[in-house]
Amino acid sequence: MGNSKKVILLGNFGVGKTSLVRQYVFRKFSDDYMTTIGVRIDKKMVAVNGQEVSMIIWDVAGESTHQKIPNSYKLGAHGIIYVIDVLRPSTYLSIEKEISSLEDLLPNVPIVKVANKIDLLTEKERIEIVNNLPLNDYVLCSAKNGSNVEDAFNKLAESLI
Amino acid sequence: MDKQKFEVLKDILFEDARKRNEELDNKVKAIDEIISDRAKLEPRIAPILEDQVHYLEKNFPTLFGAAITASIRKQIKDSQDEVVDALYPIIGKMIKKYISLELARLSERIDRQLDRAFSWEGWIRRIKAWFGGVDERDLIMTELAQPELEEVFVIQQESGLLMGSYSKHQTLDQDMVAGMLTAIKTFVKEAFPGGYQELETIEYENYKIIINNLKSFYVAVVISGNMNTDFKMKLDDIMTDFEQQVMEKYLGDKENFSEDQLTELIKANFGKLNNGE
Repeated sequence: MGNSKKVILLGNFGVGKTSLVRQYVFRKFSDDYMTTIGVRIDKKMVAVNGQEVSMIIWDVAGESTHQKIPNSYKLGAHGIIYVIDVLRPSTYLSIEKEISSLEDLLPNVPIVKVANKIDLLTEKERIEIVNNLPLNDYVLCSAKNGSNVEDAFNKLAESLI
Repeated sequence: MDKQKFEVLKDILFEDARKRNEELDNKVKAIDEIISDRAKLEPRIAPILEDQVHYLEKNFPTLFGAAITASIRKQIKDSQDEVVDALYPIIGKMIKKYISLELARLSERIDRQLDRAFSWEGWIRRIKAWFGGVDERDLIMTELAQPELEEVFVIQQESGLLMGSYSKHQTLDQDMVAGMLTAIKTFVKEAFPGGYQELETIEYENYKIIINNLKSFYVAVVISGNMNTDFKMKLDDIMTDFEQQVMEKYLGDKENFSEDQLTELIKANFGKLNNGE
């Protein structure tokens, strides 16, 4: 239990939270969209600085704001991955407020911000969108081709030790 | 010459004072000797202390009653969960014993009624029970599956992380089961709010998950087959004892209480169920 860490994935519906977990845990991706009902739980063992960490990943059904998700799902979390969809501004317009309220609820819990679906952008669009994202210190990734997915989770895992 | 005379005069004038001084000095030495020697001091102060103890015994409720009552009331109010955790094993056992006794009485009354009733089924069952040397009610249960302990999980309340477990088959990842059970519990709590209520059982076909909630952790026990009263009572007793042991050890030394230690504790306690002890 000492090296088990509860990690929760939050973000709007359809941003690709479940796909990110599937890519990270099983190295699989499916184009079929199936909405998550309630919560699904997966587990991945990772080695961080020579230490084995068991990440128990709570993939919580997407909501427009995390406040609609029961607090008891979030309590006891050791880390958070907050996912946005780079193509849908509605998924990140109020991200600052969301992060701030999460920090109030779970003080000192590390949060990694992940901007997903970059595979759907051309190089030009990517530069344009990235320049306009109201975020700093985030990971650009693609659940579809696996780009930076491992990095995002590993970044969080490192901050959990 | 004058000095000599002055000394003589001083001796005459202060002789009484010197004597008093010497007497006082001797008294102080005697008192000091008594105080420093326990054997000498005890007989002198014992009667006084005894009187005081009697006085306190007699007047304790008047002197301290109000303050103690107020303090206990405040303590209970400030830490209700801890009080519930501390009292749970004792009160739980008391209530269970009382209910068991009452149920046994009720069962005896029903038996008396049944004995009076006349039916072929009843006679056949009775004959079978008599030949088999078993209780009539238990005979009905033997037709169905025997209850058996499948898995035990000890899970942290908030995070849903597994603290320790026991499994007969090791079919599923236990960490994920612990997480899912917590998510289900959380869902039920959120969906049907209302005071201090918790999910206590989950049933699916031949399996039953019994959940016992404490403040910082909960115990989930998976049973297959049909639970008869004996098995349920035995399980309740084991759960109560086990939870008490975990609380003493886990809450006493959270840092050093390992998953292995907990697993051993689970095996030692719940193993009795399948061993028929």
